[in-house]
Amino acid sequence: MNDQWTDLLSEYVDGELAAGERSALEAHLATCGDCRATLGDLRRVVARAKSLEDRAPKADLWSGVAERIGAGRVVAIRSRRFSFSVPQLIAASIALVLLSGGGAWLALKPRPTQGSAFGPRTGPRVTLAVSTGRTDAAIADLQDVFERNKSRLDTSTVRVVRQAFATIDRAIAEARTALQADPSNAYLNLHLADTMRRKLELLRRVNAIAAAQS
Amino acid sequence: MLTTFAAAVLVSLAPLQGETDTTIAVPAGASLSVNNFGGSIVVHAWTQNRVKVHAEHGSRGAIEASLVGNTVTLRASSRHGAPSVVDFDITVPQDMALTLSGTYTEIEVDGVRGAITAETVDGSIDVRGGSGIITLHSIQGSVTLADATGRIEVNSVNESVELSNVSGQIKAETTNGDMTLMGIKSSSVDASTINGDVEYEGTVSDGGTYSFNSHNGDITVSIPEGANVTLSVATANGDIDPSFPLPLTRTEGKHRYTFKLGSGSARMEVESFQGDIQLRRPSEMRLQHKDKDKDKNHEEN
Repeated sequence: MNDQWTDLLSEYVDGELAAGERSALEAHLATCGDCRATLGDLRRVVARAKSLEDRAPKADLWSGVAERIGAGRVVAIRSRRFSFSVPQLIAASIALVLLSGGGAWLALKPRPTQGSAFGPRTGPRVTLAVSTGRTDAAIADLQDVFERNKSRLDTSTVRVVRQAFATIDRAIAEARTALQADPSNAYLNLHLADTMRRKLELLRRVNAIAAAQS
Repeated sequence: MLTTFAAAVLVSLAPLQGETDTTIAVPAGASLSVNNFGGSIVVHAWTQNRVKVHAEHGSRGAIEASLVGNTVTLRASSRHGAPSVVDFDITVPQDMALTLSGTYTEIEVDGVRGAITAETVDGSIDVRGGSGIITLHSIQGSVTLADATGRIEVNSVNESVELSNVSGQIKAETTNGDMTLMGIKSSSVDASTINGDVEYEGTVSDGGTYSFNSHNGDITVSIPEGANVTLSVATANGDIDPSFPLPLTRTEGKHRYTFKLGSGSARMEVESFQGDIQLRRPSEMRLQHKDKDKDKNHEEN
């Protein structure tokens, strides 16, 4: 599955693709089971997002976010037929990554919420505004996959990937520390969510490369 | 004629002193797929409807070429199982779509006007030209793209990403490296790095969306005079340094500030956790970038 096709899926669901792009995507969907599965996931997410509106979210991913950040601010998503609030965006940015690339099952697995195998173990998570338990679990699972399959990669590639993981982990740790001092800060919450998304995406990408080397 | 093209053609090309040369006639709208384990893939364009392949490889290596439907596929193989190192030099029709992949492979494309997908694990990607969907991914190499238009996604993990004279929808990411976007014409740009600087010089179109993000680096963005943009600027530990007056619209907590210029119809987010944020006019930005290039060249020499 190619990220470029994945990016088109959202606009496809919204009926916003030009005819040429729509035809190209439909041709790709005919041969790519992963993209068809992601399309199904995306349709479910969109349907759920439309139904959320002013109701408080129930899933763990959303817990504590709305009350701490304040759900009043609504950010319009250009060229979309619905809009998200800031807390919804924080959760959705992670949830969509979990849903894409066949990662949805990871998010559904019950896991401990304390630190990942690779990431820094910081203080109690209750002090953070964003509930990151599921994301931590997904990262830990993907990290396990990487550790199992890293022998398929060249040692220099493994070294470079580890450096990148370390860089992202430091950024996550710094964002968490800043959030502990200022838990309601919207920028810090979004920055943490985005940095964790980066780690998930990198793990997915590296694991796909390792799998292709077999 | 078309039936000739539609038929599957598979040629296992025998090496001659470690070199392979072949030319394949292709129909209009044909695409090229090349997979190489190690070495390089260099692609040029010409006006003929033929794909010309020159490959240099070890005496045990071979090149498999096939034309199935509209797709020419080139693959490096080895008689004894071990992956071979091949340097491909390929000339293709200008509008040909390319899918190029490798593991320890440098990729270079010049003058092609079709869609381009290039992915490598250890090697740089350097593309000039391209239109439509352009996807360039490297783990250990730098990625540069120039003179391209379309829906563009470029990323590296451990090196820099550079875009120049590029138009269309742009998404660019790296983890350990700088992000440089110069001469951009776009209403949708998303550029981010974790550990590096970000520079953007380009259009700020009415109704456009722009996002520039770094964790550890400085961000410098040009805002053209007369731009209509709502600018959201955030930094946890850095400074905000505009070279022109900015009307503050809103402050959110300690770290985020919103400014509205003109009608504010475009949305731009500029965020660096540790670094400074500089807002400049395009002429200042180009000058600053030139000075930075000079310093870089000086250091390298």
